Order: sequence, then structure tokens, then C-alpha cells
Amino acid sequence: MIHLYALVRGLDELPPLTGVEGAPLERRQIAGLDLVVSRTGQELTEVTNEAVMAHASVVEELTTRSRAILPVRFGRAFASEAELTAAVGTKAPALEHGLTRVRGCVEFGLRVLGHEPPRQGSATLSGAEYMRARLDEEAERHRLSEELHRPLALLSRAEARFGGASGDLLHAAYLVPEERTVAFRDRIAGLERLHPELTMVCTGPWPPYSFAETREDA
Amino acid sequence: MTTRHEPVDKILASGGDLRRIASEIEQVTSAFPRRINADPEQVERGLAQLVLTLVELLRQLMERQALRRMEQGTLTDDEVERMGETFMKLERRMQDLKNHFDLEDRDLNLNLGPLGDLL
Amino acid sequence: MSIRDEQQLRYQVTLVELVDRVLNKGVVVAGDITLSVADGGLVYVGLRVLLSSVATLEEQRERALAAVGAQS
Repeated sequence: MIHLYALVRGLDELPPLTGVEGAPLERRQIAGLDLVVSRTGQELTEVTNEAVMAHASVVEELTTRSRAILPVRFGRAFASEAELTAAVGTKAPALEHGLTRVRGCVEFGLRVLGHEPPRQGSATLSGAEYMRARLDEEAERHRLSEELHRPLALLSRAEARFGGASGDLLHAAYLVPEERTVAFRDRIAGLERLHPELTMVCTGPWPPYSFAETREDA
Repeated sequence: MTTRHEPVDKILASGGDLRRIASEIEQVTSAFPRRINADPEQVERGLAQLVLTLVELLRQLMERQALRRMEQGTLTDDEVERMGETFMKLERRMQDLKNHFDLEDRDLNLNLGPLGDLL
Repeated sequence: MSIRDEQQLRYQVTLVELVDRVLNKGVVVAGDITLSVADGGLVYVGLRVLLSSVATLEEQRERALAAVGAQS
């Protein structure tokens, strides 16, 4: 079985690292694209901590050594070289486009939890007042979410918002060019200072996982 | 040749109580098979958590729908009033159940992933 | 919070963000993705853990019933 980690551009040498189940890393050239793979004896029937970590580490190391990288989602392995070639071949144009889009960028993630104002005693509200209050609450959450998201989106080449947990005020990822990462960090720090009541976590820099899959019509 | 892989700390910045985020997604890190507590009370609580989480999800979906219709103006004043009363009653009932089973809001917080876009 | 607790928290949060990316993001190069255990990955784990608790509950109940049946 062939396990695929990422597509890369500008990779000189493979990192000194083993992959899933300790298998050595290998390269493949398919449809003009550069792939990094490893071969395992049998199909992974279970998603284990170790396998996920191995995959993540390989992608991480490849990112620092490449000009552009498309991390591949951890999933089914390919049964043969032919299957891999066919799968990549079909998707080649989108993959090329994807590599160009993420070139020179890193990903940052942001999760902001809501600050739930205590609901006033419902016994005192009429049904209509309750619904009005819910609408106002919703509008406020939306406004706050935009206030946090927009300045970060302005610094990004691309951004993605996720549904997230029902309590999330904002759950997003940002594709930020290297030359803007300092400004991005500063902006995050500024937003934190502006909103000490919010719980937020910004993580990164990540390989551009959230921006690897591109829509055909994008 | 490196064979051990440990995640590098990726936290760029964090404000507020990190515990809230960690506890909300705490279930994730213990997602891989683990010993289940067989204590009947815990088991009952676990079931209650499941059921109430789903009820809470439905409640949010319904409330969201009602709010949309309210904005669009397709609800009569009477309907708005009755819906509001129903949601308030439901919220009170949920709170009673949560108290009874010693569950917090964050215990019922379901991370929906792509489905969250429906909310 | 102690330094150690803080580190543990940071580790947990990093882990979750990382696993979410590896399992749910990244480009899909295959006709279909079939993850036998973690389909839908991280984000459904909360519900999945609860569901597996329920499944185990059923098993336990059945075993308990069988044990009672054996006794009578």
C-alpha cells in the first residue's frame, strides 16, 4: 500500500525522517507533480495516534524544505502505483493551481469561544421579548465575529470559516504570506487586548492543510 | 533517523481561559478506545449527556429557523409569542435536566464540523 | 495553574488542532476516502465517544442479564 503525504514544489532532498509505520519516505513524479509517499505492507485498518503523528511530522518537515506544499488528508492508501497515478492524473490541474495558491504562505488557525451573557430570568419575559432578545444576541455575536475576522482576513491571501462547535464565536483558518506573518501576529495580539473577556486560541504556523483542497470553480 | 514524532507546540497566542477550550475538546484526546466507567450512575449520566446534547442541538436548530422566519416577517405576532414561550419552557426544562444529571453547558457542546454550517 | 498543567493544556490544544487538520483538512487524492475508525474525524468525536459509551452500556447490560439468567 502506498501512503501519500503531500505534493511539493522546490523540494531538494527528502527529510531524514521515517513515515507511517516506520517506512522510508520516497518520491514520485506524476503528471508533472512531485509527490512524497511511503509504502506499507498492508492497508491501515485503524487510525492510530502514531500514524497520525507520523503523517503530521512528515508534512511538517516537508513544509520547511519546500517552496510550496499541499498536505494530503490522512486516509485510504493506494493499492498500487497505477491507482496512485490515475488518482493524481485526474486531479492534476487543480493540484497545480493549489500549489501556486499556497506558495510562500503559512496557515494560522483561530478559535474564539463565545462569552455567554447570563440569560435573565425567563419568567419575567414574554415570548416575543424572548425572541427579540435572541435576535439581538445573534446580531451581537455576528458583529463581534466580524470584528475579529475582518482585519485578519485583510492580511490573508485566503481565509476559511468553519461551522465549529455551537458555542464558537469564530472558528477560522487564514492563509498568510510569509511577509505578513509579523503583522498578523501583531493583529492577533491587538485583538486579544481589545477583548480580554473572550477565550481565544491562535495556533500556527501550520502547513496549509485548510487551503489544500481547492474548488474547481475557484 | 527520527522515528518518534511529537507535536511541536503550535500555540501562537491565547487569551482568556485556555481550560475552556481544552475541556470542550477534551473528549477528543481520549477518543481512542479507553476503559468505560461501569458505575451505573455514570452510565446513566453518559446516556443523559448524549440525549440532552442531541436535544440541545435540535433546540438550537429550531430556534435558529424560527429567528430566520421572524426576520423575514413570515411569522405572525401570535406565532412569535407562542414560539418564544415554547423555547423558554424548553430551556427551563433543559436546565432542570442538566441540574439533575450534574451537566454543564459545555458537556452538551457538540462540535459539528461541516454540519455546524447548518446552524 | 501550575506550569506543568499549562504545558499539558497547550499540548492538548495543539494536538487537537493538529489531528483536526490531518484527518479533516488537506487535499483529497482518491475517489473516496474511507477511514475505518475516524470517519468524519475529530469533529464528531464528542458524539462518537458518547455513542461508544452507549454501545458498551448495551454490552454490559446484556452480560449482566446473561449472568442473572445463568444464576436462576
